[in-house]
Amino acid sequence: MKGGGPAERGQPDHYLVQHVREALAADPRVGELHVEVTMAGDRVFITGAVPSEERRTVIAAVVEELLPDHEVSNHVTVEPISGVPEVEQLG
Amino acid sequence: MIRVAAAGDLHFGADLRGTLRPHLESLLERADLLLLAGDLTRVGDPGEAAILAEELGDPPLPVVAVLGNHDYQSDREAEVRKLLSESGIQVLEGESVVIEFDGQRVGIAGSKGFGGGFAGACGSDFGEPEMKAFIRHTKEIAEELEGALSGLDTNVRVVLLHYAPIEQTLQGERPEIYPFLGSYLLGEAVDRAGADLVIHGHAHRGTEKGVTPGGVPVRNVALPVIRRPYNVYCLEDGRPLS
Repeated sequence: MKGGGPAERGQPDHYLVQHVREALAADPRVGELHVEVTMAGDRVFITGAVPSEERRTVIAAVVEELLPDHEVSNHVTVEPISGVPEVEQLG
Repeated sequence: MIRVAAAGDLHFGADLRGTLRPHLESLLERADLLLLAGDLTRVGDPGEAAILAEELGDPPLPVVAVLGNHDYQSDREAEVRKLLSESGIQVLEGESVVIEFDGQRVGIAGSKGFGGGFAGACGSDFGEPEMKAFIRHTKEIAEELEGALSGLDTNVRVVLLHYAPIEQTLQGERPEIYPFLGSYLLGEAVDRAGADLVIHGHAHRGTEKGVTPGGVPVRNVALPVIRRPYNVYCLEDGRPLS
């Protein structure tokens, strides 16, 4: 039977991605449940939309703190509250 | 006619100060009341609630809200609720409020709601204590909601939730997480008691429009769904306009 640790089974990314998501939710600077995290090798990609530039920057900072040896690609976009309300007549 | 403005998932914090107020200036011209469908704050910090209250200012029209899961994150939801209430925002949890306009009475029954899933793909009140507690919590919330709604003797009855009462307005979300986004027990409570409109949030990737199996219109007003500061739903005399 082939032995080997988690690294050899290719598991770390699988778990790390979820650890990053948990950190983004739990970190009081962020509290973000709606950002997507993916990993490829030593790169981490974060995508999604947040309402402020500050929030976008802090998300990347949290990921960098958690994975200092990874390169963080921050593709999160800023979508501020905007637009004209729609009026719907129900019926 | 009653014009109900609604928005959910504001996730307010210091970084959003000043971003909502400009959109509220025309609110009085467009709507008779404003409903906020939970996740008012980012992590449930009373400081964030204070910033939202400041942003809403002295509301020119009635503002009714429910809390969402984010508002519980810091275990300070009672403070969040108190702070908002003291700022003129009515925060409902298994309760109702009646607002009168020009001889019409609008009743709003509100609750955060909770998860559990939808008929055919949901948790059951069975097994480990933790599983029973999860589902029983939703059952209790649904019973409270039904009681609050049934007690309303008004021209128009609106239900305000954070969690979803139907699957339809979750479309766009991964089906695997539906049990964490809502429960059929909420929809069943609405259909038993009867209502003219259900407003909810929580499902950022969901769909705005749906209907309960009993025919009550449901609107998911999470900001990432409606992509506007709020939407307005017009109802007349207890029944939707035809």
